[in-house]
Amino acid sequence: MSLRAKQIIIAILGFIFLLSLVFVQWVEVTRKQEEAGLTAHHIAVPIKSRQCVECHEKSSPGIIDHWKGSTHAVKGVGCVECHKAEADDVDAFTHYGHTIATIVTPRDCGHCHQNEHKEFERSHHAKAGNILASLDNRLAEVVEGFREDVKDEQGSIIETLTRFNPHSPTPGMAIETVNGNASVDVGCKQCHGSKVSLEGTDGSLISVDQLKPDATGKPTNMDAVALVKHDASGRPVLSASSWPNTGIGRLNLDGSLGSCSACHSRHDFSPRRARQPENCGKCHLGPDHPQKEIYEESKHGVAFRDLKEHMHLDSKDWVLGRDYTQAPTCASCHMSANTLNGEKITHDPGERLSWTNRPPVSTVMDTDINGKIVTETDPAKRRQMVTSTWQDKRQNMQQVCLHCHTQNYINSFYKQYDDFVVNYNEKFAKPGEAIMAALTKNELISKAQFDDEIEWTWFYLWHHEGRRARHGASMMAPDYAHWHGMYEVAERFYQELIPQAREIAEHATAAGKGEAAQAALAVIDEILARPEHKWYEKNKIKFTGEHAAVHEGIAEDLKQAQAAANDAAPPADATNDKPVEAADDATPPAAKDAEKPAEDAADGNSDASAATPPEGERQAANNPLRVDDVVNR
Amino acid sequence: MSHIGEWLSERVPVSGAQLEELTNEPVPYHLKRWWFCLGGTPAYLFVVQIITGILLAFYYQPSAATAYDSIAYITEQANYGWFIRSMHKWAATFMIAAVILHQMRVYFTGAYRRPREINWLIGMCLLMCTLLVGFTGYSLAFEQLSYWGATVAANISDAVPVAGRFAKQMLLGGDSYNERTLSRFYILHAAVLPTTMILLIAVHITFIRLHGVTEFRTEDESDDAPRHFNFFPEHLLTELTIGLVLMIMLSAISTIFPVMMGPKADPLTTPEVIKPEWWFYVSFRWLKLFSLSFAVLSTGFIVGAMFLWPWIDGALRKITGKEEVSVYIGIVATLLLVGLTVWEAVVTH
Amino acid sequence: MAGGLAAGYGTLGVMAIRFLHASDGDAMGWQFLCRTEELTIGESLPYTTPSGAKVVIARQSDGDTASDFIALSSVCPHLGCAVHWESQNDRFFCPCHNGAFDPQGNATEGPPAAAKQQLTRFPLQVEDGLLFILVPLQAVLGEGMQVAAVTKPLHHDRSEEMEA
Repeated sequence: MSLRAKQIIIAILGFIFLLSLVFVQWVEVTRKQEEAGLTAHHIAVPIKSRQCVECHEKSSPGIIDHWKGSTHAVKGVGCVECHKAEADDVDAFTHYGHTIATIVTPRDCGHCHQNEHKEFERSHHAKAGNILASLDNRLAEVVEGFREDVKDEQGSIIETLTRFNPHSPTPGMAIETVNGNASVDVGCKQCHGSKVSLEGTDGSLISVDQLKPDATGKPTNMDAVALVKHDASGRPVLSASSWPNTGIGRLNLDGSLGSCSACHSRHDFSPRRARQPENCGKCHLGPDHPQKEIYEESKHGVAFRDLKEHMHLDSKDWVLGRDYTQAPTCASCHMSANTLNGEKITHDPGERLSWTNRPPVSTVMDTDINGKIVTETDPAKRRQMVTSTWQDKRQNMQQVCLHCHTQNYINSFYKQYDDFVVNYNEKFAKPGEAIMAALTKNELISKAQFDDEIEWTWFYLWHHEGRRARHGASMMAPDYAHWHGMYEVAERFYQELIPQAREIAEHATAAGKGEAAQAALAVIDEILARPEHKWYEKNKIKFTGEHAAVHEGIAEDLKQAQAAANDAAPPADATNDKPVEAADDATPPAAKDAEKPAEDAADGNSDASAATPPEGERQAANNPLRVDDVVNR
Repeated sequence: MSHIGEWLSERVPVSGAQLEELTNEPVPYHLKRWWFCLGGTPAYLFVVQIITGILLAFYYQPSAATAYDSIAYITEQANYGWFIRSMHKWAATFMIAAVILHQMRVYFTGAYRRPREINWLIGMCLLMCTLLVGFTGYSLAFEQLSYWGATVAANISDAVPVAGRFAKQMLLGGDSYNERTLSRFYILHAAVLPTTMILLIAVHITFIRLHGVTEFRTEDESDDAPRHFNFFPEHLLTELTIGLVLMIMLSAISTIFPVMMGPKADPLTTPEVIKPEWWFYVSFRWLKLFSLSFAVLSTGFIVGAMFLWPWIDGALRKITGKEEVSVYIGIVATLLLVGLTVWEAVVTH
Repeated sequence: MAGGLAAGYGTLGVMAIRFLHASDGDAMGWQFLCRTEELTIGESLPYTTPSGAKVVIARQSDGDTASDFIALSSVCPHLGCAVHWESQNDRFFCPCHNGAFDPQGNATEGPPAAAKQQLTRFPLQVEDGLLFILVPLQAVLGEGMQVAAVTKPLHHDRSEEMEA
């Protein structure tokens, strides 16, 4: 080999060597990029918080460790930045030279995270704390605990009792009184949020209601501020009934709503955690709205469990279609950014929901400027009020779906879902509501909730089983849609609601309220005469006379009462049998009349005169719904 | 320019011609064949090891508490750390392979024979040093396998009669692996052995220069072909070419198969499958075949025989009267070597 | 030939230098300062970096970009004394050798002016209306500083390995 040839070979080899090193460089760069979001975050404690960290590292190392793993720590946001308060804040106190407050509210977080705060305040989540007077709250306060309003002669409340006396000693523990709010504090409020209260020197509680904070969150009622009790170290005393609490709709002392740490657990505020279904599962689970379980049953949840480690849950923006496509979590569909929506995250999950399946009867998510669902039935007025239609919201959700499914597929899915909800609404929910309204209106059951068996039945039907069915359909969990859902709805309706309603009417008849009972029975019969219910009693072996009297186990004393009533009133047999027979043969004129406006109302086209009677009925029927309207689910 | 030249030549009184004569040893013509250039390969890799080793030493902290984490830092965080570490590791593998190949070439061509016996001895010392450097370096990683490898090796040394126990205590700085052990491995790996090797290599090369490279004529060469060619620049270019090819291979392999972090050493749990580095497979399999004392003694005997081979070979040739007897023995030994290595490689226990 | 050799070995040499030049021995980090609207013209915000250096941040013009703000080190470039703001003279003053600097950090008097020196400027960044400053974090482990290198996922991996 000539010298020249060798030199050329060396030159070529040198450049090949360079190329191999360029390859090395490329590997290095991709490695660094991949790890950029994951590793080597050097954090330094900001000078202002150094004192806090030094002390709390010993006294409560857990919160410091969590903070060190947070993005806040990386970006130099320490303890003081979030916990700082001003002297005129009602819950402020001096702590080793810093004026701070214990509770960090969304107003504090919104200091930097303005958009997130705005979106959240608009969301249904933020309103979750307004459960006071709702059905659920009555359950926990009165039914499960103790609450009694003491009224004066005019009927206005002078005192609300929430404590009762123990009835036997608990050995080893001195119990003076029992807190009737215990179930509310631990159950309801930990998801819905408490009304944060400070203890007053006079024993009263001082919350946002008394403080009346202005737009900047400063209290305007100085009398209430003066009343606040401070402990030995000068710290305002938070009522244990209202704190610790990170419920999502917490009513804070500064007037802000909610708690960011409901989802973004303090003190690491991990986005990774908020992106995972377990985070939502703190509240969205259980018999009445098992969204978490439904998700787990669905193909979406199955894929997530399998492919979780490929989903780049640590990435900065976590954009569906760019950072991951393996599976959606709760956040993916309801909140997170995707490539088709301009990579926009929302903190208002309602922006992508076309139905609300929370109330007894599902309604579409046409919302007004305040984000409230429009209940107006007049089309023209409705059009004026609605600022965001349910179609807009469905569009938002479909942008998520489109990352994995074709438009055709999505359209057909929504067809299945809509049909399912409408079927539930029309066959069970609206009739159930009508029956309950008829019973209340005719004073066959009391206005108070949960004191009549049928109220529990109806509550199970829509609040547990009906929601399970609808949520199951909305998130592709067939077993929840059917066996845990519609099957139980149907069973509850036919086997409990109808028989119980009839029994109430029979009792009422026996007790001499025949007219009211007739009115209620007419509603039931009209419903059962509808084509979709006709099957139920069409071929049923009907009993008359004596049999009818023992039907559904009417008590002996009732039979006697009935016999006594027979002397004064027309024969009971005739009263009982007539509608059933009528339903079998043909729809009686009265029932037909009742049906027509109901249909019209459903279409939203009824003229004023035709709509009058059912609207009255509707109002009554809406009563339980109205109260519950504020429940955040 | 000429001023600088004058200034320099006055202070460094060596002329270019002198330098050329000093370095320009005539190179036997057979070195035009690549196979005969293997001796330069380990030397070249040794330089690579010194450079990458010095780089790694900037970050490595030799103590049980910090060793693993400092290597993790090199591998996971430092710029190109994974690359430098992988280069060091792969160059070590290449170097041992190159040393063995070089030795086989010398053996099968009989280049160790009179008057070059002493250089063979030095070469054997270099082989031992290379294996030791490989072993100590492997142990520095403080991973499970390297920790237990070191423990096993120390206990093997224990089985050597008379000096074994002392050697083990010297190596570990105690009767068992302790917090002083790693710094011993480190100073052996990074200071004692490399210095020894530099000295040995210097002597090795000096001997080559004094004796001249063994000369061969192959049959297909005509008698009037030149017998020598110049070291500079011809042979240097050959070596450079080899060096570049090695670098390309090294950087490619280091990138494609970078060295990862194994599990950290745990003195309480021995891993299920424990293997030394591949160059110890032979002795590892040998240990499993025979009782400890026999295996250790026989290994010692074989190594001793290798050291004394130039004389044993001479004696054998005298007795048998055959020139090629060493070749046959060499073939058997090589087959045994390869066989045992492959055997150990394919079975788990 | 020389080109080929230089390309190959030269690149390797550069990599070696990059390796030795520790990537995070003097780690810098973007640290949060305040909301941009909290700082008006004429006001200044004192800030101490995690490594202890004093910095003064001031608004120079209305607007919401990083260039509307200036962050000046309080360390005099002459011999490292700390300068302070003299509002009556509208200048930073160093008491050691009577050095003075204008609000933009340019030396006006004393030895720094003679050497045409400036107070060190720190890079600023505005993100969503929040002002961040790039400062050294001095993330050397130990040293009595409350500084730690947190390697989030690796942290987990490592602990698992320790258990193994």
